[in-house]
Amino acid sequence: MTATRTIQLEVLRYRPEQDAKPFFQTYAVPVEDEWVVLDALNYVKDELDRTLSYRWSCHMFVCGSCGMMINGEPKLACKAFMQDYPSGKIRVEPLSNFPIERDLVIVQDDFVEKLTAVKPYLLPKQDKTVEQGEYLQTPAELKKYKQYSLCINCLCCYAACPQYGLEPSFIGPAALTLAHRYNTDSRDAGPEARGDLVAAHEGVWACSFVGACSQVCPKDVDPAGAIQQAKLYSALNFVTGMVKGDK
Amino acid sequence: MSAATTDTANPRKPYVRPISKTSWFLTSARYKSYMVHEVSSIFVALYMIQLVAGLFYLAAGPEEWESYLAFLRSPVVILLTLVGLVFFVIHTTSWFKAVPQATRIMRGEEVLPGKILVTAHYGIWAAVSLFVIILAWVA
Amino acid sequence: MAHSSRGSAKAIPWFLFAAGGTVTAFVLPVMLIVTNLGFFPSAMSYEGMSGFLSWWIVKLAVLGILTLGLWHAAHRLRVCAHDFGIRADELVAWIVYSAAGFGSVAAAVALLMI
Repeated sequence: MTATRTIQLEVLRYRPEQDAKPFFQTYAVPVEDEWVVLDALNYVKDELDRTLSYRWSCHMFVCGSCGMMINGEPKLACKAFMQDYPSGKIRVEPLSNFPIERDLVIVQDDFVEKLTAVKPYLLPKQDKTVEQGEYLQTPAELKKYKQYSLCINCLCCYAACPQYGLEPSFIGPAALTLAHRYNTDSRDAGPEARGDLVAAHEGVWACSFVGACSQVCPKDVDPAGAIQQAKLYSALNFVTGMVKGDK
Repeated sequence: MSAATTDTANPRKPYVRPISKTSWFLTSARYKSYMVHEVSSIFVALYMIQLVAGLFYLAAGPEEWESYLAFLRSPVVILLTLVGLVFFVIHTTSWFKAVPQATRIMRGEEVLPGKILVTAHYGIWAAVSLFVIILAWVA
Repeated sequence: MAHSSRGSAKAIPWFLFAAGGTVTAFVLPVMLIVTNLGFFPSAMSYEGMSGFLSWWIVKLAVLGILTLGLWHAAHRLRVCAHDFGIRADELVAWIVYSAAGFGSVAAAVALLMI
């Protein structure tokens, strides 16, 4: 049985060609308890207002496209269930800390640049040819970083991070976590090969461990944990570097 | 960034929402609780200064030490002590809560569950506190 | 070894911050109760305290707690200043770390005098 009720969906609208600044538009949406906020947005798009823009794709917490602020919390719209919003009023805004492109669509350019900069791919200790076979790894070695590899780049962590909002030069939770994921991979040559971006001022040291990124992560990746571990690694690395006498 | 000019060739005009550099932490409960444990550092600093000063009074002799003890008994210090105690406990609990995130220990093929680490910290905290109390008691 | 000269400026203070945070988390609440609330008059008497601090191992432990506590507080105050909107980070860092350094040396001097 599906219980239908009508909610007031407040959506932050911004149409760059005609609006000087964003404004809230309220839609009355008949919803079912099994719905998620994304279903309500799709209802608006299909039935009420075709001009509404937002990103989505998989509808099953895998693609990471539909991250948005729902009642002030960064969430995946496909993972925000109607039954958790009994009040009948839901406010939807584009992810905080990012410029708004249009309506609920944010400008992701800054993140994509940072993601590229941390080289989020395997830099093998020594290159192998196809004939030489695979880069092997034990289950224990996999477990060391597996949690950090589950990121879907939904950017909820960036929207939750006040330090990123205040200082956009900060490389930020997801990109640093991905760097840590590869740095701790037994097959990888490690931080030295990945450059010193992680240990730089705008790398891990711009994080003050607010921890909000980990609390909002829809995939339980724990970026804050990864960054603290990377801090310890960089600090140890610095001290051993001093002891060894290279600068 | 929100200039009202309309460029027909490039209609992009990203809107940047302002963030207050001085009151951003009031915008969410998470940020407030973060600021509370950050502010504990003010009380840690004050207490450290008090203790270093105390060492000098102790070194100066019994009369000076008595005046230091009298200072500790003053209402302002008592009040600061009680507030400071609350902040110290917040520091301790928030620090322990963060330990499993910052330290990842492998036990065989598995990551050691965070709960064990946190419980161990509380156990050590209790033992250390008890040890100091006993030490002060028998003195 | 690749490490950023800019990033390294925070590596050492962060180490002391982390170590100090751990030590203070364990000992500060109970220490504050013992020293400031008057429950232990004999331990806090002149004879009690100077006797206690005549042990070298105690002096060393006290110095460790004070030094780490000072550096922990200094680093966190630096972050606090930034969080409250003060952007003169280098000046703030210089002030708080100098104060922590001065306090650590002062603690060592006082302990030697006891």
